Amino acid sequence: MAAPRGWRLAGQGCCRLLHTERSAAPPPPLYPPVVASHTAKSKSAKRRRLEYFYQQVHEAPSIAEKLRLYGRLQRLKYVVYPQTFSLNADRWYQSFTKTVFVPGLPPAGAQPAGPGAPDLSELRSLACDALLQEHFYQRKRERPFLYREQQHVPGPFLTQLVSSLSAALGSSNPLLATSCLDLKPQVNFYWERGETVVCRGYRTGRIDPVRFQIDDEPLIQIRVPKQLPEFVPLDYSVPGEVPVINHKPDKLPLFKRQYDNKIFIGSKVADPCSYGHTQFHLIPDKLKRERLLKANLADQIEVTYRANGIASLFAWTAAQAMYQGFWCEADVTRPFVSQAVISDGKYFAFFCYQLNTLALTVKADQNNPRKNICWGTENFEEYGTRNHFFLPSLRILCAPLL
Amino acid sequence: MAGLWWPARPAAGALRAWAPRGPHRGKTAQVPRRPLPRTPWTTRGPPPGAPLPRSWQDKRPVQEQIPGLEQVTYAGKQYFVPWLARPRLPRWERGWHDPRHSPGPRYEAMPLYKERVCYVCHQRTKMLEGVRQALWLTKTKLMEGLPPKVLSIIDEPANQLENEDERVQNAISHARVWITTELIPKRESYCPVLLEDLLHLCRTMASKYPSLSKRMLARDYKVAAAWERESSILQVRGMNGILLNAINPLLPVASKDEILATENHVLETFHPISPTIDLQEVNVYEERHDTGFREGYPYPHPHTLYFVESANVRPVRFRPEQLRAKMLMFAFGNALAKAKILYGDDPKVLEHPVVVQSIGTEGRIFQFMVFQLNTTDLASSDGVKNLVWIDSDQYMYDYIRYLPGIRKKVVKFPPGIYGYRPDTFKKFLALYLHGAVQDSTQTQIL
Repeated sequence: MAAPRGWRLAGQGCCRLLHTERSAAPPPPLYPPVVASHTAKSKSAKRRRLEYFYQQVHEAPSIAEKLRLYGRLQRLKYVVYPQTFSLNADRWYQSFTKTVFVPGLPPAGAQPAGPGAPDLSELRSLACDALLQEHFYQRKRERPFLYREQQHVPGPFLTQLVSSLSAALGSSNPLLATSCLDLKPQVNFYWERGETVVCRGYRTGRIDPVRFQIDDEPLIQIRVPKQLPEFVPLDYSVPGEVPVINHKPDKLPLFKRQYDNKIFIGSKVADPCSYGHTQFHLIPDKLKRERLLKANLADQIEVTYRANGIASLFAWTAAQAMYQGFWCEADVTRPFVSQAVISDGKYFAFFCYQLNTLALTVKADQNNPRKNICWGTENFEEYGTRNHFFLPSLRILCAPLL
Repeated sequence: MAGLWWPARPAAGALRAWAPRGPHRGKTAQVPRRPLPRTPWTTRGPPPGAPLPRSWQDKRPVQEQIPGLEQVTYAGKQYFVPWLARPRLPRWERGWHDPRHSPGPRYEAMPLYKERVCYVCHQRTKMLEGVRQALWLTKTKLMEGLPPKVLSIIDEPANQLENEDERVQNAISHARVWITTELIPKRESYCPVLLEDLLHLCRTMASKYPSLSKRMLARDYKVAAAWERESSILQVRGMNGILLNAINPLLPVASKDEILATENHVLETFHPISPTIDLQEVNVYEERHDTGFREGYPYPHPHTLYFVESANVRPVRFRPEQLRAKMLMFAFGNALAKAKILYGDDPKVLEHPVVVQSIGTEGRIFQFMVFQLNTTDLASSDGVKNLVWIDSDQYMYDYIRYLPGIRKKVVKFPPGIYGYRPDTFKKFLALYLHGAVQDSTQTQIL
């Protein structure tokens, strides 16, 4: 704004030069550009400081430096737990992450046919062996310690199942042959969404973005060096709406803390396997089916699975996007896709997530029609009685690994 | 700032309340005694009949020397006074058995109590003499290096991964550098991750050798094996490491001639140290054999044991020698339990020896071991002995540089892995492929 004003003043002063040819370069401005103050307590100063910050992040020499600058300022933020006991947490998490939840699985791509196709009976026998080993053949303590039942049998079963299935499917899927398997990795993401007025402290009355942080620890995670193909195009208009909740996140309940703003997919930026494939989560002991049924919260069983899927996958895909250099002011140019399988050892639910936009702040979201999409199934039983194991959805279990 | 662990000196000349005063002031620290001067008394002892010096005399308490003399205590007063002795009061008895406050039965009253002591080796046993002690306890002969059968698997070019060096170095960097947002991860986090990554790399060979998919890893399982060795009962018990089970057993690595040649080998003893030193002595025990899995398990044969030594603190961590001894004891324990279940409890020379491999690591240094159980007759030190091949102290890399070394504003030493040795992973992979790979030397052994 200031520079054109200076130009206009110079032009008005020398109107005689309008009809002459301009052979030389325009003369340098006599005065420095008039801009808003940097340190004043005004909206224009705040805007200028923000612009300076965005410019610094845009011009960062490396991605690690970009992440460091993005999360440099520490303020109180809401800590979002993917595995939560809050009621109807999935709708809240959809609003925090601008996600549309579509029941069912995404439209399937071309299935691999021919000699490379995996043999389902072989995979089924591997899964049965893993199940039998953990449940029956391996001698374990009769009764696990309090609240450690999930890590006693279902945890080792899932670990064994994933490692043997990924090894067996490596021949038919070259991407899995070059993948990296992480056990209990850290996945973190920090983002801002919406605005609020600061109600307490020396910054009372100022308008601040609402900050969130997810610190997740999936049981197993598969990372690959090449990105998974998208399910739907980037600007696909999803039939569904992002829920709008007109309450403060404190009502969920969600609590604020101030600590390092970490963004991590499970390994540092230098790792060649920087794209995600599948995560496997285990429902903890306090959120088990029996406990929810005893507390008359039978409808919340699906909600826990959905909230876990949406939050974990959003954090993972968004962190992957940030590892490629995108952030809220530089939105993604290609969709980031990941999958998750969430189970409590007996009931499995499958989720697919496509990240179409990282621009969730108020300023970046003004003209942003894109929404993130999460497809999810209901949880269903993988196997019946002990003696007769049938795995009707083994095909779906293997589909994420293909 | 690191906390001071040595006692700070007081100001010069200051007297401490608890320290001696007078001519011995300042003598607070335990000064190590100089060796005694060499006199006829110190070299040969006092002559018979001469009185002993005061410090060598037997000191009995005063109550024994003067009978009838008792300490005056404040028990009668029923309150404390500082100038009277503390009374020894009888232990309070509840009068009835409260299960929540009961000390439990005494060892002698337990049903499994036996007079004869048993020596147990568990996962925290650090043996003094290391591998030599384990060799004597398990009646084994040591052979340096890996067996030629395994070495021939290394030499086959078909048994290598694609881009092996790059993938292994990625795995090392992942475990040592990339796994955490901090600069340097702790050993407790990077050591198991390195092993899991290497195992994941080995599992990708299942596309070439389909029989590799017929294996299952078992974590947190407990093994139990008992045997008698020259009038001592020995046991191996408890959780040890990660076990790779296979459908088919490993074929014997040594030929029949080598097995018969071990009869002439003499086991090394280390008198005056007893071979059962550092093993836990128990009087309440049960001699049983348990592989950790029930009957009918589809992967009945133990293939390889993986040991991860990931204690952060150096005094707690096993030294390489003690780690090798632990690997040997548990490989033997697994092999013996399997042999007793397959061939019965009678001690005899096995017609089909049981082979169990073992790999131990502390994140950088790898120990490889192949153990062959030839006999369950372990009571005497003569006869056919078991065999073990140990390849010790294989470095996978020399060190990791986390920060670049900058000299005069120029990066002279970039961050990364220094001194990477590809042979270590080749041996790791060869031990994994052993049993699934058909090689030319196999037909010559049997």
